[in-house]
Amino acid sequence: MTTSSDSRPAGEDASVEAPSEWTPEQQIAHMLGLCEAQMESALAESDQAVDTLIKVFTNLGDTVRELRQLSAELPPELRERLEGKLGEHIATINNQIATAVVAFQFYDKLTQRLGHVRYSLTSLAMFVCNRTQTTQRDQWQRLFSTLRRLYRTEEEREVFKLVLQGASADDARAHSEQQASKRAASNAGDIELF
Amino acid sequence: MSESTGQTILAVDDSASMRQMVRYTLETAGYKVVQAADGVEALEFAKANPADLVLTDVNMPRMDGITLVRELRALDTYKFTPMLVLTTESGPEAKQRGRQAGATGWIVKPFNPEQLLATIARVL
Repeated sequence: MTTSSDSRPAGEDASVEAPSEWTPEQQIAHMLGLCEAQMESALAESDQAVDTLIKVFTNLGDTVRELRQLSAELPPELRERLEGKLGEHIATINNQIATAVVAFQFYDKLTQRLGHVRYSLTSLAMFVCNRTQTTQRDQWQRLFSTLRRLYRTEEEREVFKLVLQGASADDARAHSEQQASKRAASNAGDIELF
Repeated sequence: MSESTGQTILAVDDSASMRQMVRYTLETAGYKVVQAADGVEALEFAKANPADLVLTDVNMPRMDGITLVRELRALDTYKFTPMLVLTTESGPEAKQRGRQAGATGWIVKPFNPEQLLATIARVL
Protein backbone atom coordinates (compact mmCIF):
# COMPACT_ATOMS: atom_id res chain seq x y z
CA MET A 1 0.00 0.00 0.00
CA THR A 2 1.31 3.45 -0.89
CA THR A 3 1.17 6.07 1.82
CA SER A 4 0.28 9.65 1.00
CA SER A 5 3.80 10.81 1.89
CA ASP A 6 5.42 8.40 -0.60
CA SER A 7 5.55 10.20 -3.94
CA ARG A 8 7.23 7.31 -5.86
CA PRO A 9 5.23 6.07 -8.86
CA ALA A 10 3.56 2.69 -8.36
CA GLY A 11 5.96 -0.15 -9.06
CA GLU A 12 9.12 1.86 -8.41
CA ASP A 13 11.63 0.07 -6.20
CA ALA A 14 11.74 1.90 -2.86
CA SER A 15 15.14 0.35 -2.10
CA VAL A 16 16.74 2.43 -4.88
CA GLU A 17 17.65 5.62 -3.09
CA ALA A 18 18.08 8.88 -4.93
CA PRO A 19 21.65 10.20 -4.87
CA SER A 20 22.41 12.70 -2.14
CA GLU A 21 23.11 15.49 -4.62
CA TRP A 22 20.74 15.75 -7.56
CA THR A 23 22.15 17.35 -10.67
CA PRO A 24 21.01 17.15 -14.30
CA GLU A 25 24.52 16.01 -15.24
CA GLN A 26 24.25 13.07 -12.86
CA GLN A 27 20.97 12.04 -14.45
CA ILE A 28 22.63 12.07 -17.88
CA ALA A 29 25.51 10.02 -16.48
CA HIS A 30 23.05 7.51 -15.01
CA MET A 31 21.26 7.12 -18.33
CA LEU A 32 24.56 6.65 -20.16
CA GLY A 33 25.56 4.06 -17.56
CA LEU A 34 22.26 2.30 -18.11
CA CYS A 35 22.85 2.15 -21.89
CA GLU A 36 26.30 0.71 -21.28
CA ALA A 37 25.00 -1.92 -18.87
CA GLN A 38 22.24 -3.01 -21.27
CA MET A 39 24.72 -3.24 -24.12
CA GLU A 40 27.15 -5.26 -22.01
CA SER A 41 24.40 -7.75 -21.02
CA ALA A 42 23.24 -8.16 -24.61
CA LEU A 43 26.82 -8.72 -25.78
CA ALA A 44 27.52 -11.31 -23.09
CA GLU A 45 24.38 -13.23 -24.09
CA SER A 46 25.15 -13.14 -27.80
CA ASP A 47 28.78 -14.12 -27.15
CA GLN A 48 27.57 -17.40 -25.68
CA ALA A 49 25.22 -18.02 -28.60
CA VAL A 50 27.88 -17.27 -31.20
CA ASP A 51 30.38 -19.44 -29.38
CA THR A 52 27.94 -22.35 -29.60
CA LEU A 53 27.37 -21.70 -33.30
CA ILE A 54 31.09 -21.63 -34.00
CA LYS A 55 31.53 -24.94 -32.19
CA VAL A 56 28.70 -26.44 -34.26
CA PHE A 57 30.38 -25.33 -37.47
CA THR A 58 33.83 -26.55 -36.51
CA ASN A 59 32.34 -29.91 -35.45
CA LEU A 60 30.56 -30.04 -38.79
CA GLY A 61 33.91 -29.55 -40.49
CA ASP A 62 35.39 -32.43 -38.48
CA THR A 63 32.45 -34.67 -39.41
CA VAL A 64 32.93 -33.88 -43.10
CA ARG A 65 36.59 -34.85 -42.86
CA GLU A 66 35.63 -38.13 -41.19
CA LEU A 67 33.08 -38.81 -43.94
CA ARG A 68 35.77 -38.27 -46.55
CA GLN A 69 38.03 -40.74 -44.76
CA LEU A 70 35.21 -43.28 -44.47
CA SER A 71 34.38 -42.98 -48.16
CA ALA A 72 37.97 -43.99 -48.94
CA GLU A 73 37.36 -47.25 -47.07
CA LEU A 74 34.30 -48.25 -49.10
CA PRO A 75 34.54 -51.44 -51.18
CA PRO A 76 35.91 -50.57 -54.67
CA GLU A 77 32.61 -51.14 -56.54
CA LEU A 78 30.67 -48.93 -54.13
CA ARG A 79 33.38 -46.30 -54.03
CA GLU A 80 33.42 -46.08 -57.82
CA ARG A 81 29.68 -45.54 -57.85
CA LEU A 82 29.49 -43.06 -54.98
CA GLU A 83 32.82 -41.23 -55.05
CA GLY A 84 31.80 -38.50 -57.49
CA LYS A 85 28.48 -37.70 -55.85
CA LEU A 86 29.96 -37.87 -52.35
CA GLY A 87 32.81 -35.61 -53.35
CA GLU A 88 30.32 -33.07 -54.71
CA HIS A 89 28.34 -33.07 -51.47
CA ILE A 90 31.46 -32.73 -49.35
CA ALA A 91 32.69 -29.85 -51.51
CA THR A 92 29.30 -28.12 -51.12
CA ILE A 93 29.42 -28.44 -47.34
CA ASN A 94 33.01 -27.19 -47.28
CA ASN A 95 32.03 -24.15 -49.35
CA GLN A 96 29.18 -23.42 -46.99
CA ILE A 97 31.48 -23.67 -43.98
CA ALA A 98 33.92 -21.26 -45.66
CA THR A 99 31.04 -18.81 -46.19
CA ALA A 100 30.13 -19.16 -42.51
CA VAL A 101 33.75 -18.46 -41.49
CA VAL A 102 33.53 -15.12 -43.33
CA ALA A 103 30.08 -14.35 -41.88
CA PHE A 104 31.18 -15.05 -38.30
CA GLN A 105 33.92 -12.46 -38.64
CA PHE A 106 31.28 -9.75 -38.95
CA TYR A 107 30.20 -10.62 -35.43
CA ASP A 108 33.74 -9.94 -34.29
CA LYS A 109 33.59 -6.59 -36.07
CA LEU A 110 30.27 -5.85 -34.36
CA THR A 111 31.63 -6.55 -30.88
CA GLN A 112 34.66 -4.39 -31.62
CA ARG A 113 32.44 -1.48 -32.69
CA LEU A 114 30.14 -1.87 -29.70
CA GLY A 115 33.22 -1.88 -27.49
CA HIS A 116 34.05 1.57 -28.89
CA VAL A 117 30.49 2.75 -28.24
CA ARG A 118 30.70 1.50 -24.65
CA TYR A 119 33.96 3.34 -24.11
CA SER A 120 32.44 6.52 -25.59
CA LEU A 121 29.45 6.29 -23.25
CA THR A 122 31.67 5.80 -20.19
CA SER A 123 33.92 8.70 -21.19
CA LEU A 124 30.95 10.97 -21.83
CA ALA A 125 29.34 10.02 -18.50
CA MET A 126 32.51 11.00 -16.63
CA PHE A 127 32.92 14.14 -18.72
CA VAL A 128 29.42 15.57 -18.16
CA CYS A 129 29.76 15.24 -14.40
CA ASN A 130 32.57 17.77 -14.41
CA ARG A 131 30.95 21.18 -14.90
CA THR A 132 34.28 22.94 -15.37
CA GLN A 133 35.00 20.76 -18.37
CA THR A 134 31.58 20.92 -20.01
CA THR A 135 31.68 24.70 -20.30
CA GLN A 136 35.02 24.72 -22.11
CA ARG A 137 35.10 24.18 -25.83
CA ASP A 138 38.70 22.95 -25.90
CA GLN A 139 37.82 20.25 -23.35
CA TRP A 140 35.09 19.00 -25.68
CA GLN A 141 37.59 18.97 -28.52
CA ARG A 142 39.98 16.96 -26.39
CA LEU A 143 37.22 14.46 -25.58
CA PHE A 144 36.31 14.14 -29.27
CA SER A 145 39.88 13.56 -30.36
CA THR A 146 40.30 10.89 -27.67
CA LEU A 147 37.15 9.15 -28.87
CA ARG A 148 38.10 9.51 -32.52
CA ARG A 149 41.32 7.59 -31.92
CA LEU A 150 39.22 4.58 -30.88
CA TYR A 151 37.74 4.13 -34.29
CA ARG A 152 39.70 1.74 -36.46
CA THR A 153 37.65 1.42 -39.60
CA GLU A 154 36.95 3.99 -42.28
CA GLU A 155 33.17 3.61 -41.75
CA GLU A 156 33.45 4.40 -38.05
CA ARG A 157 35.65 7.42 -38.67
CA GLU A 158 33.32 8.70 -41.37
CA VAL A 159 30.20 8.46 -39.18
CA PHE A 160 32.06 10.16 -36.34
CA LYS A 161 33.20 13.02 -38.59
CA LEU A 162 29.78 13.57 -40.16
CA VAL A 163 27.90 13.53 -36.86
CA LEU A 164 30.32 16.03 -35.34
CA GLN A 165 29.80 18.22 -38.39
CA GLY A 166 26.10 18.26 -37.59
CA ALA A 167 24.68 15.46 -39.77
CA SER A 168 21.85 13.38 -38.30
CA ALA A 169 22.74 9.82 -37.26
CA ASP A 170 20.59 8.44 -40.12
CA ASP A 171 22.22 10.67 -42.74
CA ALA A 172 25.71 9.90 -41.49
CA ARG A 173 25.01 6.18 -41.56
CA ALA A 174 23.46 6.31 -45.04
CA HIS A 175 26.47 8.21 -46.39
CA SER A 176 28.90 5.84 -44.67
CA GLU A 177 27.08 2.78 -46.04
CA GLN A 178 27.29 4.22 -49.54
CA GLN A 179 31.03 4.78 -49.18
CA ALA A 180 31.51 1.37 -47.54
CA SER A 181 29.88 -0.46 -50.44
CA LYS A 182 32.25 1.34 -52.82
CA ARG A 183 35.20 0.29 -50.68
CA ALA A 184 33.94 -3.24 -49.96
CA ALA A 185 35.21 -4.78 -53.14
CA SER A 186 38.67 -3.33 -52.73
CA ASN A 187 39.18 -3.61 -48.94
CA ALA A 188 37.51 -6.68 -47.41
CA GLY A 189 39.84 -9.62 -47.73
CA ASP A 190 42.41 -7.26 -49.22
CA ILE A 191 45.87 -8.79 -49.07
CA GLU A 192 49.05 -6.82 -49.49
CA LEU A 193 52.49 -8.36 -49.28
CA PHE A 194 55.29 -5.94 -48.43
CA MET B 1 41.97 -32.80 -41.83
CA SER B 2 44.61 -32.53 -44.54
CA GLU B 3 47.90 -34.25 -44.04
CA SER B 4 50.05 -32.39 -41.51
CA THR B 5 52.45 -29.88 -43.03
CA GLY B 6 54.61 -30.14 -39.91
CA GLN B 7 54.57 -26.34 -39.71
CA THR B 8 53.47 -24.33 -36.70
CA ILE B 9 51.56 -21.06 -36.95
CA LEU B 10 51.29 -18.69 -34.00
CA ALA B 11 47.83 -17.05 -34.23
CA VAL B 12 47.35 -13.95 -32.08
CA ASP B 13 43.97 -12.27 -31.53
CA ASP B 14 42.14 -11.01 -28.45
CA SER B 15 38.81 -12.23 -29.82
CA ALA B 16 38.13 -15.86 -28.94
CA SER B 17 35.75 -16.28 -31.89
CA MET B 18 38.36 -14.95 -34.33
CA ARG B 19 40.95 -17.31 -32.90
CA GLN B 20 38.54 -20.20 -33.43
CA MET B 21 37.91 -19.19 -37.05
CA VAL B 22 41.62 -18.87 -37.76
CA ARG B 23 42.47 -22.13 -35.97
CA TYR B 24 39.77 -24.02 -37.85
CA THR B 25 40.91 -22.64 -41.22
CA LEU B 26 44.59 -23.38 -40.63
CA GLU B 27 44.12 -26.83 -39.10
CA THR B 28 41.98 -27.82 -42.07
CA ALA B 29 45.04 -27.22 -44.23
CA GLY B 30 47.26 -29.32 -41.96
CA TYR B 31 49.04 -26.60 -39.95
CA LYS B 32 49.62 -26.90 -36.24
CA VAL B 33 48.15 -23.82 -34.55
CA VAL B 34 49.29 -22.21 -31.31
CA GLN B 35 47.06 -19.42 -30.05
CA ALA B 36 47.73 -16.30 -27.97
CA ALA B 37 45.23 -13.68 -26.77
CA ASP B 38 47.57 -10.68 -26.96
CA GLY B 39 51.08 -9.57 -27.83
CA VAL B 40 52.53 -10.26 -24.39
CA GLU B 41 51.30 -13.86 -24.40
CA ALA B 42 52.53 -14.35 -27.98
CA LEU B 43 55.97 -12.90 -27.23
CA GLU B 44 56.33 -15.10 -24.18
CA PHE B 45 55.56 -18.17 -26.28
CA ALA B 46 57.80 -17.06 -29.13
CA LYS B 47 60.82 -16.52 -26.89
CA ALA B 48 60.68 -20.17 -25.81
CA ASN B 49 59.35 -21.80 -28.98
CA PRO B 50 59.92 -21.40 -32.68
CA ALA B 51 56.97 -20.87 -35.04
CA ASP B 52 57.07 -21.03 -38.82
CA LEU B 53 54.69 -18.10 -39.26
CA VAL B 54 52.99 -15.48 -37.10
CA LEU B 55 49.49 -14.25 -37.87
CA THR B 56 48.49 -11.35 -35.66
CA ASP B 57 45.67 -8.88 -35.07
CA VAL B 58 46.60 -5.23 -34.45
CA ASN B 59 44.37 -3.89 -31.68
CA MET B 60 44.83 -5.98 -28.58
CA PRO B 61 45.19 -5.25 -24.87
CA ARG B 62 48.62 -5.21 -23.18
CA MET B 63 50.60 -5.31 -26.44
CA ASP B 64 49.33 -4.54 -29.94
CA GLY B 65 50.21 -6.50 -33.05
CA ILE B 66 52.57 -3.89 -34.51
CA THR B 67 54.66 -3.81 -31.33
CA LEU B 68 54.63 -7.61 -31.29
CA VAL B 69 56.01 -7.76 -34.85
CA ARG B 70 58.72 -5.24 -33.93
CA GLU B 71 59.67 -7.20 -30.78
CA LEU B 72 59.73 -10.51 -32.65
CA ARG B 73 61.91 -9.11 -35.43
CA ALA B 74 64.47 -8.22 -32.76
CA LEU B 75 64.77 -11.89 -31.81
CA ASP B 76 67.33 -13.94 -33.73
CA THR B 77 64.91 -16.85 -34.07
CA TYR B 78 62.22 -14.66 -35.69
CA LYS B 79 64.39 -12.43 -37.87
CA PHE B 80 63.25 -14.12 -41.07
CA THR B 81 59.92 -15.61 -39.96
CA PRO B 82 56.95 -14.52 -42.11
CA MET B 83 54.59 -12.32 -40.09
CA LEU B 84 51.16 -11.47 -41.42
CA VAL B 85 48.89 -8.85 -39.90
CA LEU B 86 45.17 -9.71 -39.92
CA THR B 87 43.06 -6.70 -38.99
CA THR B 88 39.95 -4.60 -39.68
CA GLU B 89 42.22 -1.59 -40.21
CA SER B 90 42.74 -0.81 -43.86
CA GLY B 91 44.16 2.71 -43.86
CA PRO B 92 47.52 3.40 -45.52
CA GLU B 93 48.98 4.84 -42.30
CA ALA B 94 48.31 1.64 -40.37
CA LYS B 95 49.81 -0.46 -43.19
CA GLN B 96 52.87 1.77 -43.22
CA ARG B 97 53.34 1.20 -39.48
CA GLY B 98 53.10 -2.54 -40.09
CA ARG B 99 55.62 -2.44 -42.88
CA GLN B 100 58.07 -0.38 -40.80
CA ALA B 101 57.74 -2.80 -37.88
CA GLY B 102 58.77 -5.65 -40.16
CA ALA B 103 55.49 -7.31 -41.12
CA THR B 104 55.55 -9.49 -44.23
CA GLY B 105 52.01 -8.66 -45.29
CA TRP B 106 48.67 -7.13 -44.39
CA ILE B 107 45.29 -8.88 -44.62
CA VAL B 108 42.04 -6.99 -44.06
CA LYS B 109 39.27 -8.77 -42.11
CA PRO B 110 37.01 -10.47 -42.87
CA PHE B 111 39.40 -12.97 -44.40
CA ASN B 112 38.41 -15.49 -47.01
CA PRO B 113 39.70 -18.92 -45.86
CA GLU B 114 40.98 -19.91 -49.32
CA GLN B 115 42.79 -16.60 -49.85
CA LEU B 116 44.31 -16.72 -46.37
CA LEU B 117 45.66 -20.22 -46.98
CA ALA B 118 47.01 -19.26 -50.41
CA THR B 119 48.83 -16.25 -48.90
CA ILE B 120 50.31 -18.34 -46.10
CA ALA B 121 51.48 -20.97 -48.55
CA ARG B 122 53.07 -18.21 -50.61
CA VAL B 123 55.11 -16.66 -47.81
CA LEU B 124 56.13 -19.87 -46.05
